Amino acid sequence: MSVTTSPWQRNSHEISRRRFLRGTGVVMALPWLESISVWGAEPAAAAAAPKRLAILFMGNGVNPQEWWATSSGADIELGPSLAPMEPLKGKFNYIKGLFNKAATGVGIHPGMTGNLLSGVPLTKGAELHGGVSLDQVLASRIGDQTVQPSMVLGCEQPVTGYHETNFSMAYSSHISWSSPTSPVPMEVYPSLAFDSLFENRGSQRNLSVLDRVRDQLSSLGRQVSSADKGKLDEYFTSVRDVEQRAQDMRAAKEKAEANATNRGRTVAMMARPDNGLPEDIREHMRLMCDILALAFQTDKTRIATLLLCRDISGLFYPFLNVKLAHHLASHEDTGEAFMRINQFYLAQYAYLINKLAAMPEGETTVLDNSCLVFMSNMWSGSQHDSTKVPVLTAGTLGGTLETGRVLDYTDAGDDNRKLCSFYLSLMDRMGAKLDKFGDATERLTGL
Amino acid sequence: VSLLLTLGALGLPASSSQSAAARPQSTTRSDTFDSSIKPFLQMYCYGCHRGNQPAAGFDLTVYDTQESVLNDQRRWNLVLARLKAAEMPPSQSRQQPAAAQRQSVIDWIVAVNAEEARRHPNDPGIVLARRLSNAEYDYTIHDLTGVDVRPTKEFPVDPANQAGFDNSGESLAMSPALVKKYLDAARTVADHILFLPNGFKFAPYPVVTDADRDKYAVNRIVEFYKRQPLDYADYFYAAWRYRHRAALRQPNMTLADAAKSASVSATYLNRIWAMLNAPGEDVGPLAAIQARWRSLPPPVDRKEPPVLRQTVEWMRDLIVGLRPRVAMTFDNFPQRGIAAGSQSLVLWKDRQYAEHRTTYKGNALELDMTGYAERDPLLVVPETEAARARYQESFTRFCALFPDQFYVSERGRMFLTNPREIASDAQGHRLLSAGFHSQMGYFRDDQPLYELVLDAQQRHEIDDLWTELDFITLAPTRQFKQFIWFERAEPPSFMATPQFNSFRSEDDDITSAAKIAQLADAYLAKAREVSTADAAEVVADYFDRMNRSVRALENAKTRAEPSHLDALVAFAARAYRRPLTRTESDDLLAFYRSLRAQSLSHEDAIRDALASVLMSPHFCYRVDTLPETTAAAAGDVRPLSDYELANRLSYFLWSSMPDEELMKHAAAGDLDKPDVLAAQARRMMQHRRARRLATEFAGNWLDIRRFEEHNAVDRERFPTFTNELREAMFEEPIRFVQDIIQRNGSVLDFLYGNYTFVNPVLARHYAMPEPAAGTWTRVDDAQKYSRGGLLPMSVFLTKNAPGLRTSPVKRGYWIVHRLLGEYIPAPPPNVPVLPTDETKLGDLTLRETLEQHRANPACSSCHAKFDSFGLAFEGYGPVGETRDRDLAGRRVETVATFPDGSSGAGLEGLRAFMRARGQAEFVDTLTRQLLVYALGRSLLPSDEPLLADLRKDLSSNGYRFGYLVQDIVTSRQFTSKRVTPTAPRTSQ
Repeated sequence: MSVTTSPWQRNSHEISRRRFLRGTGVVMALPWLESISVWGAEPAAAAAAPKRLAILFMGNGVNPQEWWATSSGADIELGPSLAPMEPLKGKFNYIKGLFNKAATGVGIHPGMTGNLLSGVPLTKGAELHGGVSLDQVLASRIGDQTVQPSMVLGCEQPVTGYHETNFSMAYSSHISWSSPTSPVPMEVYPSLAFDSLFENRGSQRNLSVLDRVRDQLSSLGRQVSSADKGKLDEYFTSVRDVEQRAQDMRAAKEKAEANATNRGRTVAMMARPDNGLPEDIREHMRLMCDILALAFQTDKTRIATLLLCRDISGLFYPFLNVKLAHHLASHEDTGEAFMRINQFYLAQYAYLINKLAAMPEGETTVLDNSCLVFMSNMWSGSQHDSTKVPVLTAGTLGGTLETGRVLDYTDAGDDNRKLCSFYLSLMDRMGAKLDKFGDATERLTGL
Repeated sequence: VSLLLTLGALGLPASSSQSAAARPQSTTRSDTFDSSIKPFLQMYCYGCHRGNQPAAGFDLTVYDTQESVLNDQRRWNLVLARLKAAEMPPSQSRQQPAAAQRQSVIDWIVAVNAEEARRHPNDPGIVLARRLSNAEYDYTIHDLTGVDVRPTKEFPVDPANQAGFDNSGESLAMSPALVKKYLDAARTVADHILFLPNGFKFAPYPVVTDADRDKYAVNRIVEFYKRQPLDYADYFYAAWRYRHRAALRQPNMTLADAAKSASVSATYLNRIWAMLNAPGEDVGPLAAIQARWRSLPPPVDRKEPPVLRQTVEWMRDLIVGLRPRVAMTFDNFPQRGIAAGSQSLVLWKDRQYAEHRTTYKGNALELDMTGYAERDPLLVVPETEAARARYQESFTRFCALFPDQFYVSERGRMFLTNPREIASDAQGHRLLSAGFHSQMGYFRDDQPLYELVLDAQQRHEIDDLWTELDFITLAPTRQFKQFIWFERAEPPSFMATPQFNSFRSEDDDITSAAKIAQLADAYLAKAREVSTADAAEVVADYFDRMNRSVRALENAKTRAEPSHLDALVAFAARAYRRPLTRTESDDLLAFYRSLRAQSLSHEDAIRDALASVLMSPHFCYRVDTLPETTAAAAGDVRPLSDYELANRLSYFLWSSMPDEELMKHAAAGDLDKPDVLAAQARRMMQHRRARRLATEFAGNWLDIRRFEEHNAVDRERFPTFTNELREAMFEEPIRFVQDIIQRNGSVLDFLYGNYTFVNPVLARHYAMPEPAAGTWTRVDDAQKYSRGGLLPMSVFLTKNAPGLRTSPVKRGYWIVHRLLGEYIPAPPPNVPVLPTDETKLGDLTLRETLEQHRANPACSSCHAKFDSFGLAFEGYGPVGETRDRDLAGRRVETVATFPDGSSGAGLEGLRAFMRARGQAEFVDTLTRQLLVYALGRSLLPSDEPLLADLRKDLSSNGYRFGYLVQDIVTSRQFTSKRVTPTAPRTSQ
């Protein structure tokens, strides 16, 4: 289940303490580690911290001349576009030369985007067809361990229509696909994304339905023979059992939070964003990063994609003193203006990295147990060159992914520089071992 | 199945069943239980079957009276079977009863049952309420929604009852885990809801995302267009037939008849007919067409002249070739300052084309028509001024009747002028696209089709489809939002200037009337500044139209809400398979309102309310309620109400909800009349849904229901065993059974039928000629290929083979157990395992290996009953292929000595045995199995009178399947319900 865009707010069954907190504009939740220790499910030390994967996407490529890195570790040297990453030396990898074969030779833009995370060729025209994306494969494999299997967030609304290449613009708007024919509805409203974390909308709605079923079973039970009543009771107790478990979980969480607060333990806090879309894209991106961080910290989900802007983006950056919208600015990708845009996006990425790095999780941090990928769908925005795409990763994914490296696959040969190999390697570390994914059967060498 | 009376064959002593009949008066007082049964149980059974963890979960100490035994007949029938088979007490047990002791307990149980049967002949018995089986759930959802959702894909497999069926309360249980699955299933169905201006229906796939809604709404329109008959040749052909109706000996044929038989539009044929016979055409395209028309010869002996097809196609090709040359073309709107690709100008251009599809360009005099001189001189531009004028007029009429296009289903970017780009767009499958760049938008261009071809009803249909397109996809709103994005961000960025900064596509109110008006003002102001007054007018018109479309959509959405509630209530009544009470419909609507009050959107509230209907026990359970007022007075047994009967009948024959006709009878209250009931059963057996009876009843009875997952075959050794072959193998018996059901054939065909059904892949497997039709076909004289009837079907032979060898044991057991109904206990532990590969049997053949096994008396007692039937099948290999050598190259031997001492070879030998010895058992087994399936419960001793009637009626009616069904559905068991247990049960 992902976040859907339909509005759902509080209901009358809302727990009063929550309402009180909402009144003050703050909501609390327990970080993963705290919830373990307070709930007393198992000793904190024995539980391995969960691993999380997030993919941050920026459409329309980078300014290639200035997007470089050399050497490694503390000595790493960064091109001007990567300036916001300077303080994070050692905490991230610069990866160059990976590519998605299915996104080459098919024309520019949507055909390079809708399969970025699946590696499956896309179909032109009215019938959308591609492949299930990396995050949704993971969600279906390991997503049942959290309240939400995955989060699919965006800061720019999707468009449809046809691009000149005859690909649907839907491919430019969605990187997460739950089936070959359907993109995951992307949540662009911070307020709704926030709500979805703290009271699983789906489960609340299910409770309303189950409540009604239980009522019907009670009244029907009075109208049937005793033998039949026995069979209906079976349904009744099963329904009550499901309801009870949901309510118990909710109560336990409330209690644990109360305990944690009383004992002065760490509690994650964030004000609920206002309804509607933020006027300022800077605020929009910050809020989405905050929500993602909170979701990871409190283990509400372990898999997320965040589309900071779509391909053929129409976002404007007056605060960067850029006149053109993102897409047109990318056509002048050697210019200062576009570099400022690149830097702005990396500043968001760095913000999220720092945020997770500041969240302790036992001896480690949430960042240590995560991998945050930053990527785009092409290399040069003006050349529309998808023969390699820019990739950065941050976080060691529980010590399984060494950082501080510059990895250049440009000359490794096409078979050895597949994005899908990279994904297989990531999924392995996330605990989902696949024989193949997209066009790859091999893991990425040297990651 | 009841294990009581199915013996007798195969040399088993039939004493037990006879003794029941022979001693009807035998006294079975409760003191017998204390004096003789209980001591037996104490001595031989309690050792294991008692305490906290009794063996097999079966605690025998809870039974202390005859009543308590009768209360649990199902289990005691099993006790009986185990005792008879000498399976209990187990052989390794030290305490073994004497034969006489054993027999007396057997006799006692039989007698108790017999007495019970006498007391309650043809008792309906307790049929437990139960949830729908997975198959029933899927079928019911299909019939309820009209689409094949199969929401139970992720459900665990249903457990079967003792007889092997998954449709009884005895085996179908509910659990918390399953409740969650049900919830997911209900939500999956709700995701298919397609909201329409008037009510809702269901799409064949989830329609939650824009992409899926677009796909659905667009494809419906395109499919409508593609269905239209637009080949001119067919019209000329129909006109010819009408003209010569007398010679064709159909003097009463009307023009409409002619259209119908040629599958063309009557409306359009009328116009074409009028043109063909119109006077005054002497030059130009219509004159040329008329000349050809007149040249067509009449039929000879009612046959079409050979030249006919050729000529009508010439006429068509003339039109199709010439028409585009005189079609109107339009340039981009002459303007400056506004991009030709801007929505307003593209739509202007779209409209120009759409409005001039039947307009003549007026250019014929300038065309080079010399190429036509040889085809028809009438087409050449004439010399005289007067003739030239008539020539031009002919083109006007020509263009009016034959549009340049009837409809446009794909449109590239309309503003392009570069031919290369236009050509690339043409392959785009941009269905119904308005022709913008990167922005979504649809444009309707089908006026010629609408006005010339469609009748009133079709016009209505296509109008609705287009209205629904906007409604389903929210096209106007989305189109306008994308307009704003594009004009701001993409070249030439008309709206990139500061006065447009407050118009953002992502704002919720951007399509409000006020916002549209504001934007129109700002946009127009700039347009007037940078462009022409004409262009500004087009722009103003654009905003006006957009606003109207968006408002119309908004209004339609509001207006539609009450209709969705009506549809919800109607849906619930169909889902509950009976009329709703007033309280029920009120409750449902109240639930919807409570969801809205919790800030759920209208559509989500409908989805959740619909999910609650599907979660309701009234939908997902089969349960009969007591008559409300007379619950106490109803007595032990009451007739089923008409709705209950309709449901029972429908779940028996269709595994699904009743259809409209059945519900009409239920409403009329005449289903309790046996002739009406029987007539409905006959109708339903002929319906295509009877396939479900074949699949669910026969599939479970014959134990192949899961064959589609059968993976025991080594595909390297049997490369012909593909998924397609596996599917075909499964399909063969289903087709066979369905055929017997639908044509009311003889059930003996199952055994002796000299025919079967094959498709090409199965035909190849059977070395039969491939069916010419390329699909499933009946093959007669199947004997030639060693096939015919159920016995040699490859699905059974394959399923009952372990992979690289056959298994006479499993195949024989299948015959004896499934077809002849004999109870055979499970093999003891520690039986030697045979190699699974024929090539690894050493020097012995499989037959010889089995012979050795049977030499052991512990094995022979059972194996003697069934091995021989399997050995007769040795002429069929591991995937049911005919063979004369096994995989190790040894010649196979198919002679078998059957349990009664007779012997025979192969399929024919087996059939001969069946005719002589097995047929009665087969018929009895089928009858019992069908009754269990129909009633949804295990059989009771009290069912014996009905079973006897069923067998009798079947044999005196040529063994036709329909008689069996008819007798079952009109039986007391089927048409009534036991409300309270059969007797006061003090023991509980």
